Amino acid sequence: MNRTLEKLTILSDAAKYDASCSSSGSKRANHNKGLGNSDGMGICHSYTEDGRCVSLLKILFTNHCIYDCAYCVSRRSNDVRRVAFTVEEVVDLTINFYRRNYIEGLFLSSGIFKSADYTMERLVRVAKTLRQQHSFNGYIHLKAIPGASPELLHEAGLYSDRLSVNIEIPSETSLKKVAPEKNYPDIITPMNYLSDEKDRYQDDKKHLRKTPLFLPAGQSTQLIVGASPESDLQILHLADGLYKQQRLKRVYYSGYVPIATDNRVPLLKAPPLVRENRVYQADWLLRFYRFSVDEIVSEAHPNLDLEVDPKVSYALRNPEKFPVDINKADYEMILRVPGIGVKSAMKIVKSRVHQRLNLDHLQRMGVALKRARFFITCPGSQHQHKDYETSRLRQMILSSESAVRQSPQLSLFG
Amino acid sequence: MSLYLYDGSFDGLLTAIFECFADRRQPTDILNQETYQASLLEDLRPIQTDIAKAERVIKGIDARSDGRGGELVYQLFLSELTGIELRIYRLVELLVRQNDPNILENYANPDVLYSAQVSKMISREVHRMHAFVRFQKAANNIYYAVISPDFNVIPLIGDHFQRRYADQRWVIFDTRRHYGLYYDLTHTSFIDVESDILSGATDAFVNASLDGLEDQYQQLWKQYFQSVTIQERRNIKLHLCHVPRRYWKYLVEKQVGRDGLLSRKN
Repeated sequence: MNRTLEKLTILSDAAKYDASCSSSGSKRANHNKGLGNSDGMGICHSYTEDGRCVSLLKILFTNHCIYDCAYCVSRRSNDVRRVAFTVEEVVDLTINFYRRNYIEGLFLSSGIFKSADYTMERLVRVAKTLRQQHSFNGYIHLKAIPGASPELLHEAGLYSDRLSVNIEIPSETSLKKVAPEKNYPDIITPMNYLSDEKDRYQDDKKHLRKTPLFLPAGQSTQLIVGASPESDLQILHLADGLYKQQRLKRVYYSGYVPIATDNRVPLLKAPPLVRENRVYQADWLLRFYRFSVDEIVSEAHPNLDLEVDPKVSYALRNPEKFPVDINKADYEMILRVPGIGVKSAMKIVKSRVHQRLNLDHLQRMGVALKRARFFITCPGSQHQHKDYETSRLRQMILSSESAVRQSPQLSLFG
Repeated sequence: MSLYLYDGSFDGLLTAIFECFADRRQPTDILNQETYQASLLEDLRPIQTDIAKAERVIKGIDARSDGRGGELVYQLFLSELTGIELRIYRLVELLVRQNDPNILENYANPDVLYSAQVSKMISREVHRMHAFVRFQKAANNIYYAVISPDFNVIPLIGDHFQRRYADQRWVIFDTRRHYGLYYDLTHTSFIDVESDILSGATDAFVNASLDGLEDQYQQLWKQYFQSVTIQERRNIKLHLCHVPRRYWKYLVEKQVGRDGLLSRKN
């Protein structure tokens, strides 16, 4: 017990810098009267005191590592205590935490010990044991270890719901500087392989009655923000490409937490949390608000505005597109109004079929009028914005939002 | 004044709504006789619950709402909010009057908007129960959890836990409303405080704490919860927004001592 407690302490501490927490998007229903069910939405069973969701038992299999990546606590040259779980220990913790409704499943990552295949084989064995010996239908997220053989990756895809390879550093030049043993091809190759395999199974589905589940929740990755000099433009273009070409389900962004003094990475006083938040907002605009990268950042404005969110920033740079007529504009344009989210936009287009909407209606539906009112027309709204210069409008928005900006970190639903 | 008095059950409320339509009268209010304070001045109409009438109302609601209304009305009822009966009546009346299923999407209508908001509150509470229920394993191999939710969501959470924990026996008990659910590996059924499953629990917990396994997993979980926090990012305000204090009593990881759930006061 004490031994397990010590391992859990060290190996969860070392895994916590991985921002991924999602447990949604799988299709693994409990058909075998076994343990667990993963066909619904994800559930956050708790939240840490830094406000992040605890959905999965997120641990490293081991923190032994042959690599020396400057941004990582487990790097070879760092003087930390090294331990490793056994397959049985990880399985036992997962099952017993799951049965008590502490978690949705397991997120298993690892330092690289001996070789990529040696490590990958351990991770696969944990997933296989859970699925086959314990009829476990909970959520399993494994790390795909760069350089692991296609056979092992394929097996991993059969037993897990999601696999991820973390890119971490958003350009290859910077990656070379901080992680000399890593390169982009080693990271992208397994991503492409898994994406192709998933497609192959999808095709089989058209001809075969029953095909095995293969990565039902797809792939994700993580980019570290602020450990290297890339602009938000570079970061968002990379993410956009990963969504389109590798068809990733999620790209996570992690504001670099200065974890140790290593002169290859900058010594920051605090993690760049506001920038991280802005990048997430931009990512949301790409995935749910039908924006393209070029509309959010450009060569002229390569970095996101830290003072206002990217949607306000877009509206201020494109005054000719506003105000938007709430009772007539397309759904797409209503989505672009600062202060109107996906749910409010849906409510607006569904309700206006029945009656003309005024400002009161919008307020009651939950539209954030303190931002939206500058960019819309409807009965009850004043067209004051037409009289304002962009810079003055910006000031007005900033002053009406000052309460929000004073909070140490913007609320974030990752 | 026309006050309808029903027995507090969902079928009772539906019967009362049926009678309102039969009487062709706008009710001034529909009140639960359990909580109603008698007054001599009022014109009271006590309603005898009638399952057949209740079913006709539900069928009528579903027929006019593409099958969405029945579930919605039940959710609203479980909110136990003051005045919810009259709100439900008004929603039913709206569906009957408009005879357009899409009217439930007219959020500019105050009754529709209110229903959508209450429905969202209920869904959020259901989701929180999915998240914050914590089971303790007793020596009789049954997993026990106690809850005291803001709304009466016990009838809405059974399916989720049955699908998830198909191979273990479990109990979830609402200490505020004094009833709960018991899954026996085949079915989930309602239980009350008199149930043997509950009376056996105390002994079973004493025995469980002897072998110490339950305690061990709780300690491991608490340690895990501590270790995954990134101190540099500490943000208690955000933490509290996700895990309001009133839910802490459920959560093993928010307990400092070693006492079990059942010995804890609610």
